[in-house]
Amino acid sequence: MEPVQVYSVSDFQAVCNQIMETAFSGVIVEGEVSSFKVNQGKFVFFDLKDEQSSVGCFMMKFALRFPLEDGMKIRVRAVPKLTNWGKFSLTVQAIMPVGEGSLKKSFELLKKKLSEEGLFAPEKKRPLPESIVKIGVISSTQAAGYADFCKILNERWGGLEVQVAHCQVQGMVAADQIIRALNYFNERGEVQVIAVIRGGGSADDLAVFNDEALVRAIAASKIPVITGIGHEVDESLCDLAADVVASTPSNAAQMLTRDRREIIASIKDDVKRTNNLFNTKVDELIDGNRGEMYRVGQDIVVRITTMEGEIAAQCKILEQLNPEKVLERGYALMKGDIGIDNVVEITTYKQEIKAKITEVKER
Amino acid sequence: MAKNVSDKIAELKTGVDWFYSDDFKLEEASERYKKLTDLAKEIEKDLSEMKNEINVIAEDFSK
Repeated sequence: MEPVQVYSVSDFQAVCNQIMETAFSGVIVEGEVSSFKVNQGKFVFFDLKDEQSSVGCFMMKFALRFPLEDGMKIRVRAVPKLTNWGKFSLTVQAIMPVGEGSLKKSFELLKKKLSEEGLFAPEKKRPLPESIVKIGVISSTQAAGYADFCKILNERWGGLEVQVAHCQVQGMVAADQIIRALNYFNERGEVQVIAVIRGGGSADDLAVFNDEALVRAIAASKIPVITGIGHEVDESLCDLAADVVASTPSNAAQMLTRDRREIIASIKDDVKRTNNLFNTKVDELIDGNRGEMYRVGQDIVVRITTMEGEIAAQCKILEQLNPEKVLERGYALMKGDIGIDNVVEITTYKQEIKAKITEVKER
Repeated sequence: MAKNVSDKIAELKTGVDWFYSDDFKLEEASERYKKLTDLAKEIEKDLSEMKNEINVIAEDFSK
């Protein structure tokens, strides 16, 4: 017969805890909260139950990152433990509400609390930097949302230096990973903006973005934070705490970059408009000269007309002085010496006459 | 130092503004316009060729 191992009570309890820790290190248990209470402001007790069973839970208040109330359905990550008094309980490391009702309730409670603290105040919001060259991205590199973000970023603009912190973006460990990534970027201070990116998912998938510690980390970030989480309809507390909210990961990429295609089109338009302006100014100059030439031409015409009039008048005067005109009017021209029996030449309009003078007397 | 694309875009804007300003002189316009078109082509080429550098940080954020 094999010797029977005899334990002291304390040893037996220690062995049980060792076995449970090995078998269930970080077990995830889901159930409904009942008998929730906080002792001395730092110890949290509640029961987790379903239709048939119930298990006592213990956790530290600082680890409670979602508000709890009796009746809420939650998921806990915990280590099973046999207490010194022989009571079985779960030592909870993290919790997360599950199901639409619990998530909504938790969201509203935490939103109210953090709003009252001023975490979401509009005056705390900082605009995105004017000219962004360095971006820190927090996302899962396997996620579709991350691929969308990169695609739009690359399509729209170039020359960016993007540092990507690969994190889980759902589940109970995600919040801590994202917080570490936020701290990483803030400690180094190399990027101008941090983009927290996560594509669409169920309310449970997106629940991490309502984690109190994560929301506080985003609000406290020295570097401006833009969130692009889920779809247009999804709103998380991280969105409310961020400096800038994009409706989707693609929208975040749009908000962080200028569109090179738009700039090229705008430049082409500028050059075209300048060309049109240039041509217009040349036409205006030609039109201005044409007007001046017309005015000079008109002036010359007026002067010529005036001179023509003057010349015509002079001609008329000259015409009147023409001796032929005098003869035409019946007068005669006489040439020769005046004296008795002298012959003189008389010219009329129609005849040349020679005549002898027979008499001369003074008038 | 080589001008970056933002500097070039700013230069183009200044160049375009000259045509609308009182400083406009027809004698200079042709040459300035040629420079503008050359600059516009350069910017378009720069913009089309620019690539982003995306690096995943080696740090393990799960710990």
